[in-house]
Amino acid sequence: MSEYIVEMRHVTKRFPGIVANDDVSLGIKKGEIFALLGENGAGKSTLMSILFGMYEPDEGEVYVRGKKVEHFSPNHATAMNIGMVHQHFKLVSNYTVTENIILGMEPQKRLGGFLPVVDIKNTNQKIADLSKKFRLEVEPTKKIEDLNVSMQQRVEILKMLYREAEILIFDEPTAVLTPQEIEFLLDIIREMRRNGKTIILITHKLEEIKQVADRCAILNRGKVVGICDVAETSTKKMAELMVGREVSFTQEKSPFRPGEVKLTVDHLVVKNADGFPVVNDVSFSVRGGEIFAIAGVAGNGQVEIADAVAGLTKVSSGTITLGGKEITDAAVRARNRQGLAYIPEDRQSWGLILDFTLSENLLLRRYDQEPYCVKGVLHREKFDEKSRQLIEQFDIRSGQGEKTVVRSMSGGNQQKAIVAREIDQDAPCIIFVQPTRGLDIGAIENIHRQILEERAKGKAILLVSLELDEIMSLADTIGVIYNGQLLKIAPADTMSTNEVGQYMMGVKE
Amino acid sequence: MSDIIVNGMSFSLPLFIIAVGGIYSERSGVTNLALEGFLGAGAFFGAVFTALTAGMFAATSQLPMYLSMVVAMAGGALYAVIHAVLCIKFKANQVISGVVVNILAMALTDFLTSQINAGVLGQSSDKFVLNVSTRLTFQPLASLPVIGGFFTNVYPFEFIIIAVAVVAWYAMYKTRFGMRLRACGDNPYAVDAAGCNVARIQFIAVMVSGALSGLGGMCFAYSVFGNFSTSIYTGYGYLAIAAMIFGNWKIPATLGACLLFGFARAAGYSLIQYLGLPGAYSDLIMILPYVLTLLLLMFFSKNNRAPRALGEIYDKGKR
Repeated sequence: MSEYIVEMRHVTKRFPGIVANDDVSLGIKKGEIFALLGENGAGKSTLMSILFGMYEPDEGEVYVRGKKVEHFSPNHATAMNIGMVHQHFKLVSNYTVTENIILGMEPQKRLGGFLPVVDIKNTNQKIADLSKKFRLEVEPTKKIEDLNVSMQQRVEILKMLYREAEILIFDEPTAVLTPQEIEFLLDIIREMRRNGKTIILITHKLEEIKQVADRCAILNRGKVVGICDVAETSTKKMAELMVGREVSFTQEKSPFRPGEVKLTVDHLVVKNADGFPVVNDVSFSVRGGEIFAIAGVAGNGQVEIADAVAGLTKVSSGTITLGGKEITDAAVRARNRQGLAYIPEDRQSWGLILDFTLSENLLLRRYDQEPYCVKGVLHREKFDEKSRQLIEQFDIRSGQGEKTVVRSMSGGNQQKAIVAREIDQDAPCIIFVQPTRGLDIGAIENIHRQILEERAKGKAILLVSLELDEIMSLADTIGVIYNGQLLKIAPADTMSTNEVGQYMMGVKE
Repeated sequence: MSDIIVNGMSFSLPLFIIAVGGIYSERSGVTNLALEGFLGAGAFFGAVFTALTAGMFAATSQLPMYLSMVVAMAGGALYAVIHAVLCIKFKANQVISGVVVNILAMALTDFLTSQINAGVLGQSSDKFVLNVSTRLTFQPLASLPVIGGFFTNVYPFEFIIIAVAVVAWYAMYKTRFGMRLRACGDNPYAVDAAGCNVARIQFIAVMVSGALSGLGGMCFAYSVFGNFSTSIYTGYGYLAIAAMIFGNWKIPATLGACLLFGFARAAGYSLIQYLGLPGAYSDLIMILPYVLTLLLLMFFSKNNRAPRALGEIYDKGKR
């Protein structure tokens, strides 16, 4: 009998075109919080899906409590007291919390002595008790569709606890939560360890691991590249292992050499559907070689400014000038031709056509131009040729190269594809809206490097971000937006993070 | 008035049990346009049974009718396997499968009816003649004003339908199986994660759908038509689908919708008789339930909520 409650030996799992797990061996001790760290697409979720029985490994063995696992199915996993909270919750939306929790193992009572009936009423009480014990604060009689994401996640946790899970797997549990909810969840996780549960945490967020985990395995491209004691390992070291190269949290920035003005926004007003001015009299200009960053709390009008410049929102009054020409009412394509590239906030609905191939997506801005389209006929081989060049240049990883359907790619690589397409236009002005949202460190670093490279080439860059750290490390000039108005525009080196934060809350002045 | 109730109930209830069949299938997540085919195929099996065993019972015996209903349920369930296999095993498009199943039922039962008549019974006919069911009148309740209609000239199968519907309701809302079935229609992945076999649940649901439709079809054959022929495919299956949608995929509300359709139809007939219009106009009145359906759907569909995963092809590998 080994010291491990879960042991994986030489586990390999392949999917068409990709090796998700490559000869993975690791052991997890009873009663610890074990983290699996890795970039998007490193194979963390696949590995844990194997433990939970959703996939069968192609090679290698899994041992639970010293016994070899013979049958891979969620049922067998549950019988071995393994539970998993998936990234996408598996809840029935029109059922109550209790009904969801008991689904599949409904307690029965006999009505009038013989008719079997699912016993909801008594179970409600049991679940309320369980919720109290682990401080989950879930009401058993609420319907799922009336609960927010954080509550739904706690229902998933309760589901595992109700099934007497001893080994609990969390797949990216904090991706959908607010900072306060994350704190709450981490407390719950600690509480469960105190109750003797073994917890496996899949994540790409280093801070969380630092906060709660005891040990951590780091995966890179399907391989375990290190297993370390969290307390004794620096965040930087973990990040390096995860990305597979040295990571610089602060980027090397070349000196600021502003050129001439490329983009001017003058007294811009944008109204929402109710006629309320969400952008109110905003003026600024961006010079070549400058990163102008708009900082602000979400929903203060920053996205609307970017959309107005890109031509996705109607301008109520004011003008937008690009390279000396007014484009206030120009069509999106005209602005594009005029020299404007745009990386939108929501990459899946505005940036990509998810069911098209990578090659088609990469050519969305050029498909109608020669040599990709000659006399109205598309030339696919030219598409692919160009795509392969971009894939190489921007290190876009995918299962089947340029033929990959974009939907199947990881978020980081989808974003890389958009950035590649937009930067490749060589437009003098580029708008980045939330360019690193939901990405892991490696991908963030990559995107930041691209932005700075474009700056060095003398491009005018408008950056909209909710991440203050991102703004502080990239911007040359910061404009702080509050309630649709730019409260302050100043060179980045004259403002501290704290000051910017205060303007963001509308406190200063 | 009494006539309207008598005719309304005898039409509404078979329609209702067919719609309950639809609810079983759709609440489990399988779109079911095949009710029309199910009811016809079920009635066909029942009618064949009656025709083949005609010599074994006294001419006035009602027993063949009850037996044929059991056979119709079994036959409907058997025929529904086609839809289940196409949709669940082969993951075919559920709308197309439903339409195909309907067309197949009509063609196949027509062909087989003629063949069995010619080959086994030695007569040339494209229908199986059935005795119209006896009717029961309950005195003194039947003499009550207005509601007396509910106890006058009642077909025995109306009680069978009510009993079956109660069992169906109980099974769907109170038992383990029903809970899992309804969950499949909302999020089959949750059911799978809970360790239940989604495909099996849906398969059974579609077969139950076939059985209930078969029962409803047999009742129509013994009341409205008095025989089995292709004339049974007059769109009552589609009307049941409309009732189900109008009833928001819930059994009690669907009963309400069926009663509305049935009474509208019965009221139409009474109207013709009252006005003394020529027979050709009765065809016009026949469209009344359908016009009503259109109008109601126009006004009420936006409040309706179909099962969330309805028609979605469940693929275990997808996440």
